Amino acid sequence: MEAIWLYQFRLIVIGDSTVGKSCLIRRFTEGRFAQVSDPTVGVDFFSRLVEIEPGKRIKLQIWDTAGQERFRSITRAYYRNSVGGLLLFDITNRRSFQNVHDWLEEARSHVQPHSIVFLLVGHKCDLEAQRQVTRQEAEKLAGAYGMRYIETSARDAINVEHAFTELTREIFALVRSGDITIQEGWEGVKSGFVPNVVHSSEEVTKSDRRCLC
Amino acid sequence: VFEMVYYLLSNNHVNSIIVHKFDFSDEEIMAYYISFLKTLSLKLNNHTVHFFYNEHTNDFALYTEAIKFFNHPESMVRIAVRTITLNVYKVDNQHMLHYIRDKTAVPYFSNLVWFIGSHVIELDKCVQTDEEHKNRGKLSDLVAEHLDHLHYLNDILIINCEFLNDVLTDHLLNRLFLPLYVYSLVSPETSEERKISPQVSLYLLSQVFLIIHYQPLVNALADVILNGDLSAFSSQTDVHSTHKNMVSAGGVRRFSKPPESLERSLELSRHRGRKRTQKRPNYKNLGEEDDERAGEGGEREKGKEIEMVVMDKSKVSDLTEQNITDEEKTAAATRTHTQRSRPFLDMVYSALDCTSDDYHALFVLCLLYAVSHSRGVNRDLLERLQLPVPGQERSSYSVVLVERLIRIMNQVRLATLELSCLLLKQSVLSGTRCIIKDVHLACLEVKGAPDTNMLTFKLLFLLSFQGEEIFLDMFEDEYRSMTSKPLNVEYLMMDASILLPPTGTPLTGIDFVKRLPCGDVEKTRRAIRVFFMLRALSLQLQGEPETQLPLTRPEDLIKMDDVLDLNNSDLIACMVVSKDGSQAQRFLAVDVYQMSLVEPETKRLGWGVVKFAGLLQDMQVSGVEDDSRALNIIIHKPSSNPHAKPLPILQANFIFADHIRCIIAKQRLAKGRIQARRMKMQRIAALLDLPVQPGATEVLGFGQTANALPSGLPFRFYEQSRRAPNDPTANRSVFASVDKVPGFAVAHCIPQHSPSPLSSPSPPSSGSGSTGRCDSVTASTISAQSPAAPALAPSLTPASQPTISLLTDNLSVESLTLLPPADSPHLHPCAAALSLQRPDASVLEEEDASPTDETDITVKDETTETTELVTPTDEGGEDDFIYLFAHKEKHFSPPEVDSGGTAAEIKAH
Repeated sequence: MEAIWLYQFRLIVIGDSTVGKSCLIRRFTEGRFAQVSDPTVGVDFFSRLVEIEPGKRIKLQIWDTAGQERFRSITRAYYRNSVGGLLLFDITNRRSFQNVHDWLEEARSHVQPHSIVFLLVGHKCDLEAQRQVTRQEAEKLAGAYGMRYIETSARDAINVEHAFTELTREIFALVRSGDITIQEGWEGVKSGFVPNVVHSSEEVTKSDRRCLC
Repeated sequence: VFEMVYYLLSNNHVNSIIVHKFDFSDEEIMAYYISFLKTLSLKLNNHTVHFFYNEHTNDFALYTEAIKFFNHPESMVRIAVRTITLNVYKVDNQHMLHYIRDKTAVPYFSNLVWFIGSHVIELDKCVQTDEEHKNRGKLSDLVAEHLDHLHYLNDILIINCEFLNDVLTDHLLNRLFLPLYVYSLVSPETSEERKISPQVSLYLLSQVFLIIHYQPLVNALADVILNGDLSAFSSQTDVHSTHKNMVSAGGVRRFSKPPESLERSLELSRHRGRKRTQKRPNYKNLGEEDDERAGEGGEREKGKEIEMVVMDKSKVSDLTEQNITDEEKTAAATRTHTQRSRPFLDMVYSALDCTSDDYHALFVLCLLYAVSHSRGVNRDLLERLQLPVPGQERSSYSVVLVERLIRIMNQVRLATLELSCLLLKQSVLSGTRCIIKDVHLACLEVKGAPDTNMLTFKLLFLLSFQGEEIFLDMFEDEYRSMTSKPLNVEYLMMDASILLPPTGTPLTGIDFVKRLPCGDVEKTRRAIRVFFMLRALSLQLQGEPETQLPLTRPEDLIKMDDVLDLNNSDLIACMVVSKDGSQAQRFLAVDVYQMSLVEPETKRLGWGVVKFAGLLQDMQVSGVEDDSRALNIIIHKPSSNPHAKPLPILQANFIFADHIRCIIAKQRLAKGRIQARRMKMQRIAALLDLPVQPGATEVLGFGQTANALPSGLPFRFYEQSRRAPNDPTANRSVFASVDKVPGFAVAHCIPQHSPSPLSSPSPPSSGSGSTGRCDSVTASTISAQSPAAPALAPSLTPASQPTISLLTDNLSVESLTLLPPADSPHLHPCAAALSLQRPDASVLEEEDASPTDETDITVKDETTETTELVTPTDEGGEDDFIYLFAHKEKHFSPPEVDSGGTAAEIKAH
């Protein structure tokens, strides 16, 4: 059976440096944990298919911001062409939690008057002993911004799958309800049935393929 | 690591991969390829650049191959190209940068500018052909695209590589911004030269000034708009450009397609570089003179070449040649009409006219705001034209602008109004001093009156239909959302929806402040906002602090851990059982605006520590089934978002000793809620110069003293009772009045951190910075008017005013029945009272010439007969307008005048 995707969602992963953005993405797209991670350079997008309902697959293109130059025009373009994102902080690093607001503000300043669907992720939840941010306060913060909150660990593969699928489901529902519409010239959501965007089937089945556009 | 990279790069394999002709029609190959180039570009620095840039052969494949994709249809490819170029420009290698400028800058920038311009024309077409806002999706994308371009240009400019910036600035000014954007402001609709419509041009220019701050570019641009005439487009002598040595400095400013594609240009350039030919002067073929050009000698040489370029350009098309003469004719014609013509500025000012709508005006306001806030625009230029410079000391302002700003009022969107208030303040406030002329101030007041009137009647309208409940919530909600989300011009200019003609329907999804109101509720919301904005404006112009709004300041409220003197207060003991099952023994105290739960203070008898305090107005009280001693109490957090689900800050069962106490508590709370809301409504009424309901002051026990107080007093809750507990008279009178109202506890609240409140001799005004001035004013007026008046907490005293109200069984506003307040036996229409008291202030009530709804018309009959125009006198100076303002607040007030009578009893619900 052909593994064709219904939609392609472009997602970003943001948060302070060293919160484990690349590790989370690699765990999700490659199924492994890179213990010693060299700063990611050049590889923009990781792709993976996600099945949200039987037979309904969504292709996720995930942008890793690590190693990117901070030119405003470039960052802006990535934000603008994303429909959703994971906003990461490190539960063992209070500072990274306090910066969550700034990250949201930055995203907002780039995509006005639109918005990005974010999921708040407390990363490194395997390091319970070093925890500096309680689940309660993180949930409260997420609630205040209308986000959901999930705690993950890339090392122990806790909730990684869950975090991405949750976000995908949330976006899918918004696309279904018409709150998010596919626009020509916007790459946040692409429909798999537009002829010139459909990839050949064998390309798509390579789920951990890196797309480098 | 470096060694490895060096090894990998040094044998030139990388460059042969870069120039390999891949099949770029394959999306995947394209993606890998451009990503590869980008990865390499991220590694560029002063050392590694030599592996890619060959000085001797003048090759820089990484860069030249990448920029060929600058207009690739896939946006992610374009972004990668931009990243590569920025990474290249930021490497500080003079040889490489000279190469970039001499061999590639003109082809790349001219094509880039053409690409941007084409998007702009597409954007304009999208606006022009729109029907029923159907193009909004596409338009939004095109606007975002334009912003992308501007941010990219700005990123290049802020790398601050001077000679690259010169070329880029020249292209942007002379090939894009001036010919395409600015010229479209004045060219007649039918003209060939008009490429885009003026509103689109204004919008895009605002974006330019908001994003780009590079001085040589934006100053030159601002100079043409604010100061230039049409000669900027026709004559050979260019007075505005600061770049006399630039490509088109001697030539004609025109938005035109580059003569050949970027790829071909680069090829030719490379070819020429090797053979050192001079055939195509279009591409600065000065490779052999690199050394000289690095020094000062290069300038002259460049100038020579430029002339050739211009000549070459003018041969490109006969059609464009024709256009030049047309432009010249137009310019010449304009010059004969006006002596010193500033057609662009004239256009900008005339677009502020809002007689039909504020479609253009909003963009002009944004443009003026952006120009005046730009770091790149010379202050001199703005000052010469007396344009608002934020935070600058000055003694005069642009009369034309201010008058036009003042005229912006009716039927405009809230965003337009907010911006025009902003610019007005910027224009006439010099430091803390206001330099507005009385005549303008008077205009402002006249202008404000119709809207205030409208609000007044909307208020009544609402009262009659929905009751005051919703009005109060709406009033406070609007204030909260307005102050929590002040206008952000940059964000406003990112919204494509304002590019389409203003609309009223919320079905478009357009933000409330960016469209006209729809329906009565929104009209009321709008009227409330207008009121807030004009009030803030007039207060600020007078240099007076806001003492009335918000109706509830958090700092005035009783807070947790406050210690209160509860002697003489009614306290009811109860057990508070919260939702999570936790229990606590507390005393319930009901205050004017709040209910609080206290526990005894151990050190002082009769004092209590507040454990919880919540606003009565947001409280719901209900009985508990099966328990006649218990009440269920919920207090919601006031939210700034009316759509958000109310968040309870207290949700608990209160269990009392017996049924009687429970009933007393319930009554006290219920009554307290009504009273708290009524107090606030009275304060709103006073703010609007609406009379207070009769009997209200009596109910609260202020009947005697309140009459002695002038209106317009600060209503700050608790300000004085907190600070002056040492005044025995004040205390007594507070309690005396409280005693008239059973079940009403007025507590004396002293913040715990205050060291010794009882012995503090400080006058009431000393404590608070923001309200200090007003407090002292209040104190002095009190003592002047009635020396015996005790120093009541002003927040507890609604202004005594004639009373107006609606009969609830008559729902139409026309049937307003006017009744006298209890103490005045005569009956007069309120407008008559106004003119009797202050004929000089009646100008304030002048009706708008075109009332917009039926309520206005009915009022007009009453008011016009008593309205007389007053020319403000010249000699008064600053005092004069303060006088005007002061009396505006008073003109309904003095109760001793036997008029004022507009009232009927309204059943509160």
